[in-house]
Amino acid sequence: MGLISRFINVPSADPDDARRRKLLSFLLSILGGLLILTLIYILYVDMTGAEDPEPIKSLFFASTAVLGGIVLLFIINRYGPGWLASLLFVLLLTFAIVFTSEPRLLLGEYMFYLTIPIVMASMLVRPWASYVIASLNTLFLALAARQTQVVLPLPGVLGFYLLALVSWLTTQTMERALHDLRDLNIQLERRVQERTIALASANQELIMANERLEELDKLKSRFLSIVSHELRTPLSAIQGFAEMLQNEVYGALSPKQHNALNRIIANDERLLNLVNDLLDQARIEAGQLSLVNAPFPLQGLISDMESTMRVLVEAKKLYLRIHVADAVPTTLYGDQKRLQQILVNLVNNALKFTQQGGVDIHFYRPDEAHWAIDVVDTGPGIPKEAQGFIFDPFRQIDSSSTREHKGFGLGLAIVKQLTTLMGGTVTVISEVGQGSTFTVILPLIAPQREK
Amino acid sequence: MSDKFALIIEDEEDLATIFSEALKAAGFETEIIYDGAVAERRLREVCPAIVVLDLNLPHVDGNQLLHQIRTDPRLDNTRVLVATADAGMADMLSDEADLILLKPISFVQLRTMAERMGLTMS
Repeated sequence: MGLISRFINVPSADPDDARRRKLLSFLLSILGGLLILTLIYILYVDMTGAEDPEPIKSLFFASTAVLGGIVLLFIINRYGPGWLASLLFVLLLTFAIVFTSEPRLLLGEYMFYLTIPIVMASMLVRPWASYVIASLNTLFLALAARQTQVVLPLPGVLGFYLLALVSWLTTQTMERALHDLRDLNIQLERRVQERTIALASANQELIMANERLEELDKLKSRFLSIVSHELRTPLSAIQGFAEMLQNEVYGALSPKQHNALNRIIANDERLLNLVNDLLDQARIEAGQLSLVNAPFPLQGLISDMESTMRVLVEAKKLYLRIHVADAVPTTLYGDQKRLQQILVNLVNNALKFTQQGGVDIHFYRPDEAHWAIDVVDTGPGIPKEAQGFIFDPFRQIDSSSTREHKGFGLGLAIVKQLTTLMGGTVTVISEVGQGSTFTVILPLIAPQREK
Repeated sequence: MSDKFALIIEDEEDLATIFSEALKAAGFETEIIYDGAVAERRLREVCPAIVVLDLNLPHVDGNQLLHQIRTDPRLDNTRVLVATADAGMADMLSDEADLILLKPISFVQLRTMAERMGLTMS
């Protein structure tokens, strides 16, 4: 198949030209093939010894000559101008029909054959070439009529021109349609190309925007971490010197001075916690926070939290009750410091918003593989629409509450990120006026399974 | 050198003062060094009972000093308290240091620890 199409196809920049050349190649190939078969047949008859060799001999020479002509046309068609090959072919066909038939037959039953070059001229040379061949045929008919002294058969001539018109219209229409199709194709291709370019540039812009965002995010994390470090040192110094004063390293203090110092220390601690939260947030966002897991006593977790919260609980006259279910192991495995942070953040948050009543903390086992902490408060509750984002960093339900409760909105975000890091979940159930329940569920890891 | 000699290596002057005061309160004689390179030299001369070591120091960092102390047989009995704000770093050094103190370090906390160490040392 590939070989045949390569034999017939003629490469050309003009698609119309290529189509015509291909058609001519095809016709010439078929004619050539038929002629070769004829020659083989002639040679066979000759060899078997015909009675009269003369007509066979002339037929042999004629066929060979025509075959040579076809080969020549084929070569011109392939390497020379296509229109010349086509024109020669159509003319030779016409001459062959005219000069091989008697004038009488040409005006009669052979007239039909003359229609073939008319149709072919349209398809092979140019659409309008059918008129040229029709005129040529008319000329030959006129000559034949003159020779045989008969009247030129007008219906035949009309037939030629009619056929020329039809084939002109047909090929013209076909070429137009092909042309339109090619135009459409080119347009489509161009449009696809334009869209592809537009998409590629949009994509590039997105990639660049994304890179900028990533860079900004990194910058933010680095900025946070630097600022936090820079803040921590003076805050630590304030705390240290205040403690020294409090411990009367620099001499005795009056009760009023002690009171003022306690306020300094409490406020400094609050600032330090805030900075620690910021630092943790930055570390978590930068993916730098890793857990340090070890066995630890549950009681240690509880008593540390209680001592941290005592001042706040007493100051606000609230209750803080601990409930531990029997199923919870006394020794747990995990990162105690980070669990402490989760618990303190949740309890601190609960106490912060609660004005009356207090906070209940439940430790229990929701199933075999997990342990859980419920922090239940009697605070104002969280509106439904806010529950979706209370775990997002740097957000608080409304800005007015920031002033009232001195919150910063990082505590819950850190709880969420730490529990996620530990393979656990944190959820909230709350209704306005009914208080809130925060639940942290963590996988229970048996200490003996680790080192 | 005295049994009750403590070396404080910390580049933040205020923090160094607090550490020094806490150790003095626990009954130690103290010396403060603010620079890693100076500390490196000084550690070849003295034999402190306690070294409070900050990790971020100019010229020679705390890690390197910790390694120096641990490979010097003369300082076998020296207790090293590493002071760092980085919990991850603290975890990495837990084998080499005697005690890791996570910054911010409270005066009372350090004093209590130093007192306890002073008791076990004698």
